[in-house]
Amino acid sequence: MIAAFTRAIDNFLGRGDAAVTVPPLDGALRPNRMLDDAKSRFALEGVDDLAMVGGKLLASAGSDIHAFDPKGRWKLHFVAGSPIACIAAIGSDGLAVGLASGDILVTGGPFDGKSFHADAQAKCLTAMVESAGSLYVANGSATSAAGDWQRDLMEQNASGSVWRIELESGNSACIADRLAWPAGLAVSEAGITISEAWGHRLLRLPSGGQAEILYHDLPGYPGRLSPAADGWWLSMFAPRSQLVEFVLRETAYRQRMLEEVPQPFWVSPNLKSGKSFYEPLQGGGVKHLGVLKPWAPAMSAGFCVRLDSGFQPVASLQSRADGATHGVTGVLEADGQVYVAARGDGVVVCLPAEIAGGEA
Amino acid sequence: MTPILQLRNGTKLYRGVPAVKDVSFDLHRGEVHALLGENGAGKSTLTKMLAGVVNPTSGEVWLEGEKVVLPTPAEALKKGIAMVYQETSLVPSLTVAQNLYLMDDQSFHRLRGIYIAGQQFLQSLNFHVDPSALVSALGAGQKQMVEIARAVHHNAKVIIFDEPTATLTPEEKYQFFSLVERLKKRGVSIIFISHALEEALQISDRITIMRDGEHVVTDATESFNRDRIVQAMVGRSLTQELYGSQEGRKVRRPLAKVLSVQNLSMGNVVRNTSFSVFAGQVTGVFGLIGSGRTETAKVVSGVLKRDFFHGGNITFKGRTVRYRVPRPAVLDGIIYVTEDRKAEGFFETMSIAENIYLSAVAGGRAESRLISMKEMRTLAKEWTDALNVKAINNDASVIELSGGNQQKVVVAKALVQKPELVIFDEPTRGVDVGAISEIHQLINRLAGEGIAVMVISSYLPEILHLSDRILVCRQGRVVEEFSGNEASEETIMFAAVH
Repeated sequence: MIAAFTRAIDNFLGRGDAAVTVPPLDGALRPNRMLDDAKSRFALEGVDDLAMVGGKLLASAGSDIHAFDPKGRWKLHFVAGSPIACIAAIGSDGLAVGLASGDILVTGGPFDGKSFHADAQAKCLTAMVESAGSLYVANGSATSAAGDWQRDLMEQNASGSVWRIELESGNSACIADRLAWPAGLAVSEAGITISEAWGHRLLRLPSGGQAEILYHDLPGYPGRLSPAADGWWLSMFAPRSQLVEFVLRETAYRQRMLEEVPQPFWVSPNLKSGKSFYEPLQGGGVKHLGVLKPWAPAMSAGFCVRLDSGFQPVASLQSRADGATHGVTGVLEADGQVYVAARGDGVVVCLPAEIAGGEA
Repeated sequence: MTPILQLRNGTKLYRGVPAVKDVSFDLHRGEVHALLGENGAGKSTLTKMLAGVVNPTSGEVWLEGEKVVLPTPAEALKKGIAMVYQETSLVPSLTVAQNLYLMDDQSFHRLRGIYIAGQQFLQSLNFHVDPSALVSALGAGQKQMVEIARAVHHNAKVIIFDEPTATLTPEEKYQFFSLVERLKKRGVSIIFISHALEEALQISDRITIMRDGEHVVTDATESFNRDRIVQAMVGRSLTQELYGSQEGRKVRRPLAKVLSVQNLSMGNVVRNTSFSVFAGQVTGVFGLIGSGRTETAKVVSGVLKRDFFHGGNITFKGRTVRYRVPRPAVLDGIIYVTEDRKAEGFFETMSIAENIYLSAVAGGRAESRLISMKEMRTLAKEWTDALNVKAINNDASVIELSGGNQQKVVVAKALVQKPELVIFDEPTRGVDVGAISEIHQLINRLAGEGIAVMVISSYLPEILHLSDRILVCRQGRVVEEFSGNEASEETIMFAAVH
């Protein structure tokens, strides 16, 4: 009763949760165009996740996995037969392929040919990571499919979970649940770090301890995590905007929008916006004389954040509103290079790690 | 040629301690004479003796070849000597025009009449200040303009300017310099005290330098350069030490985000501004007067309140906060070190020890629940030693200290509260070069200890020298951010103006 009254007051005064604010892109997240300025760009339609297996860079796109050849071409490496949700290296030469159906197939390495399933209900795989004989799997939502992430956000669900699968036995156990779209995992000595997309934060689950928030109030929706030379990489697949934050607080409007408006035209973040003139516009994002200003509020952008070993941002690679590397869903650092998969624009860009890593 | 104003062998003792020792000084008709020296060098005391504010312990004042006694500032003003103080001496509850016409011979003024006359007079000086505005509502720069206008208005033959440009924007400084030129042409003699050495070199005809209450040198301006002045002031060359080259400078890496300001608004002054401050870094904030930087800092620290409706969001260490008064902010660890130290920084009639201890008590940092004289003395000694406050002892009133030492007391008051975020607003305004160096070292040390530090400054070399990241404010919001090692004066100024 008191909470409802407080909420009503907050709504009226525009404070607390109703303040409808988004943290600025500053400090380590200061806007830049490094993703767009990268000289090495390799187109791959639908590219989503990256893994390094047996010295080869693999990228998932649709139902296939492609291998990158040193000449800068993609070669078909593996055909899964159904849409791939995420991939992860197992040891040095194995690859786990998480499918949209929830099945996890392993190809290569000691577990070649095996398949796993976290749980019968886990059908929204978003990220996987292998560590010490266990495969950790993030299940984004109990009700939405991986490709239906915008609906899950708009419904403000928090039904995601994280599972641990013993690769030897195939036994699985839920290690965290009621998460708002866990989209990335990192395993370190300190515990398991989860990027919780709709909570805009990074959480750590220490072994046998209380979950702690490592970073909160990110200006975008955090996605997959991957190791860097002396820290981590975090991909943020879409930016937060005040308009979306406002719509998320307007329940009646949102419900009507979900029921009556086709999904591509919702007021919601996107991997790539501006494809159709039916999309909702924001005043600042309207093209003037055919030019979209880089600082225009956008439903999509490219973000890839370099974190230190304590998961604090130290630098970032970005593609701004007018850029062409939007919707970053995967980052991988290997052999002194950083590979960034931008699903929105269907491209993998490559930068030298010493440039990409900022001053870390 | 007889000097218009002369001090012969002037000495002023405070409690037996000389502030000025046997100094002779002369001012020629129609000249601009710059008086330079560190804080505590005795410049203000010397000029106060000439303006009748303090009486010399020994020595004589001569005006136009005649020995005079100046018991009060009013008497000095009657004789044609006006002083524009470093800290404004206007009556805050009166309007600009009323302040201009205060102390006029006429007993009664028609309000409308003085507003019209005031408007014309201010316009003639190119000062854009509303004569009907209350002085309390003016910013520091505008107050300084009114102060200058008042001195000019009294048709003084000698005007003493004590740090007149410290709070002025570049445009206002330009107006001020042309005003000085105009006054000079009219035969007015000017004593000009400034810590901005370039200004002294630019507008003065002669320069006198003092150190530790003693006269060091007087010479024509052409014979000086920056290094010679600094060397004479402090006995060593500080230029490089103070604002050295930015090349190869390593910026500190940010630690955790301490403060996040999102879409903050306060009237027309702060407009939808957003920025973050990180621990372990100095975040410099630059903007011209009126850009809302001070007001933003005051909202963050609870001195001012944000808009009631949709005023934005402030998060401190992950917790949404909204301070209506400064105390909860202080208890949480946010300290604002004011730009206007005389009005907001300390209790001027209290001693250094009392000021520091009071701050510890107010911030809940005092160890004893009852007032403890022992703890007061210990704290005062600890902080005056740490910050090198130069005073006779810790029982001296803060008002008796020089500007730089007063500022150190204000800083001590802030740091005694063990803050996690310190916001310095113009930390070296009206502070001499020696103390500037010490305050800069202190700011760097705080950031090195992992404290989040914000420095608001109008002086670009200072911002460039201190900051790991630089935020530029314009029209009430942060419009640009630079890294400390990529910014230049030109890029910052461009962002602040365009």
